[in-house]
Amino acid sequence: MQGLILQMLEGTIVSLKVFFLTLLFSLPLGFVVAKGKMTRIKPIRWLTDFYIQIMRGTPLILQLIFFYFAPFYLFGVSYDRFTACIVAFVVNYSAYFAEIYRSGLQSIDRGQHEAAKVLGFSKAYTFFVIILPQVIKRILPALGNEVITLVKDTALAQTIGVAELFRVAQTASSREFSTVPIFVAGVFYFIMNYIVSRLFTLAEKKLGYYR
Amino acid sequence: METMLRLKGLKKNFGENAILRDISFTIEKGNVLSIIGPSGSGKSTTLRIITQLEKADDGTLEIGGRTLFRSYDGKSVYPGIKEEREIGLMTGLVFQSFNLFPHFTVLRNITEAQRAVLRRGKDEAEYKAMELLKKMGLEDKAKSYPYQLSGGQQQRVSIARALALDPAILFFDEPTSALDPELTREILKVIRSLAEERMTMAVVTHEMNFARAISDYAIFMDGGVIVEEGKPDELFLNPQMQRTRDFIASFDEA
Ligand SMILES: Nc1ncnc2c1ncn2[C@@H]1O[C@H](COP(=O)(O)OP(=O)(O)O)[C@@H](O)[C@H]1O
Ligand SMILES: [Mg+2]
Repeated sequence: MQGLILQMLEGTIVSLKVFFLTLLFSLPLGFVVAKGKMTRIKPIRWLTDFYIQIMRGTPLILQLIFFYFAPFYLFGVSYDRFTACIVAFVVNYSAYFAEIYRSGLQSIDRGQHEAAKVLGFSKAYTFFVIILPQVIKRILPALGNEVITLVKDTALAQTIGVAELFRVAQTASSREFSTVPIFVAGVFYFIMNYIVSRLFTLAEKKLGYYR
Repeated sequence: METMLRLKGLKKNFGENAILRDISFTIEKGNVLSIIGPSGSGKSTTLRIITQLEKADDGTLEIGGRTLFRSYDGKSVYPGIKEEREIGLMTGLVFQSFNLFPHFTVLRNITEAQRAVLRRGKDEAEYKAMELLKKMGLEDKAKSYPYQLSGGQQQRVSIARALALDPAILFFDEPTSALDPELTREILKVIRSLAEERMTMAVVTHEMNFARAISDYAIFMDGGVIVEEGKPDELFLNPQMQRTRDFIASFDEA
């Protein structure tokens, strides 16, 4: 039993790595994508839109397989499965975050930008000090949902052989002819998501000082 | 008398539509100009061009002796970002919908631009803000957030926010149109006291009696042109054009 827990903790660490690395890259990249979708330059807007459509319109599991095998079939190079997994998650989640950011940015009254402009704030200052804090407050619930989905989606990394929590649990389960490891994994995911949702509730409370 | 603003031959199109056809006026230092006219006549667009929220298509505008744009070859030419920014600091704009920053306290709404744009120190900015809040009768609201204030109080904060940057000329775009009559009186009182202090201002308003009382000069706009202009007593009490008469009469009935 102790050995099992240890193995599962190792799997959990891999899952957490996928989770945090995905957030680290896709949270900022989502902003770049959102900007692309909102630009006046049509080709960039079309391209961004096409990319978002693909990401949202096809299963993540397929995208994982694509990013792992495509470089090999196209260029004859193969790379580390963990890297491929992070690339796929980042590319996928950037698209989802971009849509959340875009709806948040567009929900801010035009008058906020105009007041900032008339008062003489620079563009960067306006974005980071006036607009962004308001956007974050508004998108926090949607962002929370997406991050919770990400915790569960990390289980898909096993598709290309990444030894994350769920894969470890399945292997143990078939080795020991027992479903217990699977349920233990379920408890792990639940705890992670409990922490995530508590953090988001906390953040929402903290930003609840204004309307 | 010193001229604060001189606008000549302003033209603006949105797509195919000629919104402003030929707008010219001057504002002397310490004077108040009132602009009246039906909805859609181009009043906001005029103020938005002067405060650089929109670009002019043609015309010349001088503010405080500096040129924001000059008519050249049938187009308006701007002098470049640095000069445009500096001229922008001479103008302030008060919006119909206040547009306070909801995540800042009242105090920070008034200090933020002083600090970030004018590079004033914290103490100086807060001192200035508190002085203005006192003047607006809102010194006890410094720590409140905009959502905790009435519309009239929010509009007074937004006036304080604009005044904090010491603009040479302040524009109001229907500052009371979002307010009920009682709150409207609050704001009109504030603008009137600024006029008494010889603040240079231009006010777009539907408050005819107020406009007549505070302004030194008045303009009636319709369809992107100035239909009639003159001393307020003449324009409001003895308009020469039928369109002006109809417009002013429509407010007497209401
Ligand atoms: N950004 C814009 N794009 C297209 N048309 C506009 C824009 N802004 C204003 N207009 C049009 O210009 C005309 C004048 O508008 P505006 O200056 O707001 O008038 P007013 O303030 O006198 O009511 C209106 O017909 C309006 O629809
Ligand atoms: Mg208007």
